[in-house]
Amino acid sequence: MYIIGENIHIISQKVKEALETRDSKFFQNLAVKQVEAGAQALDINLGPRKKDGAEIFPWMVETIEAVVDVPISFDSTNLAGIEAGLKKIRKAQPIINSTSAEPERLEKVPLVAKQYNARLVALTMGASGIPVSADERVNIAVEKLIPRMIEIDFPMQNLIIDPLVLTVSGCQEYCPQLIETIRTLQYAWDPAPMISVGLSNVSNAVPRQNRPLINRTYCVMLMGVGLQTMIADPLDQALKDTIRIIETRDDSTAVGRLYLKLFDRYAAMETLMPEDVDMTDPEQVAIWKTVQILLNKVIYADSYLEQEMTA
Amino acid sequence: MTVEIPKETWAGSVRTVTFGATASEGGTRARSLTVGGQKTLPFLHFEHETPYPPLVAIEIKDHRPDDWSPLLLDAWGEAANDPASWAKAAEVAGADVLVLALSLNDTNGQPTTPEAAVAATQAVLKASALPLMVFGPGQAEVDNVLLVAVAEATKGERLVLGICEDKNYRTIVATAMANGHLITARSPMDVNLAKQLNILIKDMGLPLDRILMDPTTGALGYGIEYGYSVMERLRLAALQGDAMTQMPMIVTPGFETWKTKEAKVGQDVPAAWGEWRERGIAWETLTAVALIESGADIVVLRHPESVARLHQAIRSLMALPELA
Repeated sequence: MYIIGENIHIISQKVKEALETRDSKFFQNLAVKQVEAGAQALDINLGPRKKDGAEIFPWMVETIEAVVDVPISFDSTNLAGIEAGLKKIRKAQPIINSTSAEPERLEKVPLVAKQYNARLVALTMGASGIPVSADERVNIAVEKLIPRMIEIDFPMQNLIIDPLVLTVSGCQEYCPQLIETIRTLQYAWDPAPMISVGLSNVSNAVPRQNRPLINRTYCVMLMGVGLQTMIADPLDQALKDTIRIIETRDDSTAVGRLYLKLFDRYAAMETLMPEDVDMTDPEQVAIWKTVQILLNKVIYADSYLEQEMTA
Repeated sequence: MTVEIPKETWAGSVRTVTFGATASEGGTRARSLTVGGQKTLPFLHFEHETPYPPLVAIEIKDHRPDDWSPLLLDAWGEAANDPASWAKAAEVAGADVLVLALSLNDTNGQPTTPEAAVAATQAVLKASALPLMVFGPGQAEVDNVLLVAVAEATKGERLVLGICEDKNYRTIVATAMANGHLITARSPMDVNLAKQLNILIKDMGLPLDRILMDPTTGALGYGIEYGYSVMERLRLAALQGDAMTQMPMIVTPGFETWKTKEAKVGQDVPAAWGEWRERGIAWETLTAVALIESGADIVVLRHPESVARLHQAIRSLMALPELA
């Protein structure tokens, strides 16, 4: 699993403060910590920065490239700011995150990506928003995103399609559809386009203590249908353990065997069955319940883990 | 040629909830009322019988309201001057159940006291033998003070106390548990929040057959489609077996409708909108009919003519179709 570290994000109060004071040490520490924890690229989300983008993006590139060698992913809608940052890149091939299929974005952003030889994340989102169904999301990729890349002779190996993870708390019907979107997208083009998602979005607006379980359970399901890249928290040790269990097929623990079963079921176009789960083991029951909400079979509630199971 | 009509079989069912206690049950009501028990979607009689028809509640106030549409005040006339006469008039108008909505202030502009709330409740209980719901004015602290006093003074009547919301349910649930009443749990048009509130209330120990849920609705033209979808989804989950969504649903189309311009305003509106009184009543009736078709077990109305029309609609919907 190729992890793009998500932790330099304006949503964090500490990041916001460090940005105000241009605290380069803070960002360098956070960059090093993520890379040491296994991040293979770093996503940088500083918001739109309409006023100071031309200054702050280059500053951030210099700050981060002073301590790590991994690619920087510019997560912003401010194209001029991104371009200012791209000019400063000295190390690895950068990533622009992102364009959508909205005509104006799709017109401009890929041209900038091509000019600077950047990889480009393209969202399966059109002018009318994010479609629920897997088919419609795949259609956006096949009918809008990929044709635009061909049109401008953009190298396909530099295209990363992001079919958009939405939160189980409020957009529950999107969660199972995303799984099928990832499965299908790999057959949408030859060679198969690279796919990446923002994993932690699935647990947005979920109480903090429940987020990691939802994230890693969803991660296993998405790996089962072929996901190999994601923006995620590389400091989440339990998530990384789970990825390791899948990648090394470590069946030494009961929970590990359940995760492998979940992975295998999805790889085989099946779904987790009650007989796969030892319902006397609370940890396995929690995973089962989490799968049920992610599949939109049981309505999500903040206390979903406490709800007794019923027929 | 015979056509086989496919039938859905569901794993779950809506919980039955009974409120209002008769003398033999420790109260003073002429009868108790039961809602819920459905094993299929609303009015699909060919799949399963509907054990209890939807109920029509009429909302009355503890004193004549100064912010209600003149159409409503005209309809109720003098009866709306005090809760006892209003309760009698509502019973005559065809209410299955009464909702006494307490006001924030009394007629002198002073905060409603617990004593006044209890007096109004007891006057209504004396005037009409229909099962009763009592709703607070909708401010957390005031609701708690008034509803605890009402709950204690009416112990054993199996009233429905409202309204429990996520930020304000503990006191009301506790007093309902202590005094043998039920509660209504309101969430802001969101399936996740509706379910979560039910879990929280259950965790306090209130038996599930004493919870009605109010998923909140909007009037026709003012978000009813959102409310409709939420109710539909909750009902589907209930039938699929999710115990935390199996409570019968109560909604307040009267309150919602009479806030709308179409129902409220008689002047300076396009002539094409038609006659004001008819428009207001149609708005309330159509809102309520849509809601019972999405699974509402109790609808709370305000205009007596809407009540009559809704009873007619429910009779039609409950009638078993004659076989051809």
